[in-house]
Amino acid sequence: MPENEKVKARRVDFIDRIWGFFTSLRLVIILLLVLSLLSVVGTVIEQNKPLQEYYRFFRPETVELFLKLGLLDMYHSWWFTSCLALLALNVIACTMERYPSIMKGLKTANVVLDEKLEAGLKDPAKIKYHLPAETVEKRVTELVKKIFPAGPIVTETQDARHFFYEKGRYTRLSFLLTHLSILIIFIGAIGGSIFGFKGYVNINEGSTISTIQTRKGENKALNFGVRCNSFNADYYETGAPKDYRSDLSVIRDGKEVLRQTIRVNDPLSYEGITFYQSSFGALPDNVTLEIRGKNDASHGTVVAPVGKQVDIPGSGIRIEVADYREHFHFPDGSEAGTAIGVNIFRPGAEPEGVWIYEAYPEKNNHWGYSFKVKGVKLQKYTGLQVNKDPGVWLVWTGCIMLVVGIMLAFFTSHKKLWIRIGKDRKGRVELTAGGMANKNKYAFSSEVARLFDSFREVS
Amino acid sequence: MTNSLLFGISIFVYFFSMVLYVSYLAFRSDALGKVATLTLLSGVLVETAAIFLRWYESYQMGIGRAPLTNLYESLVFFALTIAVFYLLMEWKFKIKTVGAFVTPFPFIVMAYASLNPNEIQPLVPALKSNWLIAHVVTCFVGYAAFAVSFGVSILYLFKMNAENKSGKKGGVLLEYLPSSELLDEIGYKTIAIGFPLLTIGIITGAFWANVAWGTYWSWDPKETWSLIVWLIYAAYLHARITRGWRGKKAALLSILGFAATLFCYLGVNLILSGLHSYGGAS
Ligand code: HEM
Repeated sequence: MPENEKVKARRVDFIDRIWGFFTSLRLVIILLLVLSLLSVVGTVIEQNKPLQEYYRFFRPETVELFLKLGLLDMYHSWWFTSCLALLALNVIACTMERYPSIMKGLKTANVVLDEKLEAGLKDPAKIKYHLPAETVEKRVTELVKKIFPAGPIVTETQDARHFFYEKGRYTRLSFLLTHLSILIIFIGAIGGSIFGFKGYVNINEGSTISTIQTRKGENKALNFGVRCNSFNADYYETGAPKDYRSDLSVIRDGKEVLRQTIRVNDPLSYEGITFYQSSFGALPDNVTLEIRGKNDASHGTVVAPVGKQVDIPGSGIRIEVADYREHFHFPDGSEAGTAIGVNIFRPGAEPEGVWIYEAYPEKNNHWGYSFKVKGVKLQKYTGLQVNKDPGVWLVWTGCIMLVVGIMLAFFTSHKKLWIRIGKDRKGRVELTAGGMANKNKYAFSSEVARLFDSFREVS
Repeated sequence: MTNSLLFGISIFVYFFSMVLYVSYLAFRSDALGKVATLTLLSGVLVETAAIFLRWYESYQMGIGRAPLTNLYESLVFFALTIAVFYLLMEWKFKIKTVGAFVTPFPFIVMAYASLNPNEIQPLVPALKSNWLIAHVVTCFVGYAAFAVSFGVSILYLFKMNAENKSGKKGGVLLEYLPSSELLDEIGYKTIAIGFPLLTIGIITGAFWANVAWGTYWSWDPKETWSLIVWLIYAAYLHARITRGWRGKKAALLSILGFAATLFCYLGVNLILSGLHSYGGAS
């Protein structure tokens, strides 16, 4: 062999081996089992928690190790995604390998029952009749209708008439359908994560937003505004939430273009962006406080907007309402009711944060001043999850293909039946018949055997 | 509540049917076998009535929802689907001896269910979805198929083991059992029914999650475990269809698959935590 041909042969051998690796069914089974094993790990170690939680449960070295191995976000780690990629390559290779034979199976088969075909059939029937050929043909084709409702392809040859029946030819596509569907789901999922985003936004009742926060912590501007006209929550008698709903409007160029009430299982979609009801709450808009100084001298009442410093007349100090809790707990765990977090700015001192309790005015003495909550003006807000996933329709298409493909693969098969009515050497009418199926062969051959028994009873 | 009374009765009926199936295996009297089947069937009828009654009672309480939404209700439904699925297999394949290996499930599952709180509770907003019902029903019928396949696989291993020990002859009992080919075949057929159902179950679950929360897949433990189960059975089917794994290897994979199924259903709630509503504090 010349040298360059040897190299070529070696190269071909190498490519063959790689191809053999990717089309091997052992690889499929191993990959499926390995993926399931790896997935178990991710359910035992909780994923994507804030780091301090891991430090609470594990030793620092362990957490570092987990971080290095990508075990804290393992479904996005390089090794897990590589396994998925390998599976995808595996599916592509297997599908390509089998494509020609599937297409061959889809072509119309031999419609004439010749000797060569007859030799390849399993348990063909040969029946002789003392009846005219036309009668046999009429009775037999009537009987076949029960199994093959669609009429036969009839062919005349020199010495016989041939009847070809077929059912479920396109179920041979089940293999393509299931395996391509997996790729389509992958593509949809990857496309969605590249070209889409996930975020959230809180909208106060009555106000309009046009930017949201993505999960990565970035601000994202929308091409339109969303206004929350109202938010309502209903509760069962037990206090469990029954229904929450937000009345939303989409605002474009100052005009309302869409108005819809959303609920937990009923989101709003506009321009490919979907808004899901996810949480709700209330924040104070402003707090009215009555303040007394030394010797119970009143400094009057002030209305303190949240997040703004306000002067207390005649006292020299300023306060800022910074926080609000509807159900505050004292350090011993007992319920304190509503509490307002207030920063107090005294001249010449660092600002100090204190909690002012609505229900316990006697506890609200700080540096000689006493505070009393006279009123809290709450602002309700609705919490929305905001998503754009341009790949989701591919995922659902893939899912439908997957289900259809699996059903076809398990419950249907391509069935064929040939019948030839001719004459034997003695001139008697002779029927030859045989069937073939690509799957579920056992069930089909007993069905065919019963059919042939009924042929024998034709008289 | 009358529905709990009916559920209580069905536990006893399932218990008796289990005893009858085991006695049938021991004494091999056809009459016993008939009584065993009828008892199981009446257990199914009583339990079906109980489920519908519970549904009706929820409407009377002004809650009005399908009884498929907490751990108790899902267990009860699981027991029912196993019993129904088994009865269908028995009728189709004439395999009454398998009953002794499958009927303990409805009884055990019902008994376990009775340890869980069973008040009819109103639904939190996320669970108010028709997708949820499609999701639960398909998943559980799939699980039931896997449970039957598990029972059949155990019987298969039991039979092979006994045959290997006692040589070809075997005891009278062994001869009475279905042929190992038939057991192997039923083990496969039941999985071939369960797998598409589980697939639909996972997809409807994903669809529902997408409508409710905007993500069809978030790798929470319940989802991940259902994927694990799916992968194991996909491996089983490929091993069987394309590599011709039959008999012992296939039976072992089927048992592994059902172990994963049980973990997905109960282990995740009892051991791992997740988004799902079954079990937990409610
Ligand atoms: C991961 C999910 C997968 C699923 C759900 C799946 C599904 C199926 C189903 C339902 C069948 C039965 C088809 C039939 O009976 O005609 C099948 C067969 C087969 N699969 Fe897969 N498959 C998967 C992955 C793969 C991969 C990665 C490969 C690549 C090697 C592969 C290769 C095959 C082959 C060669 C057959 C034999 C088809 C036959 O003999 O008719 N599968 N698969």
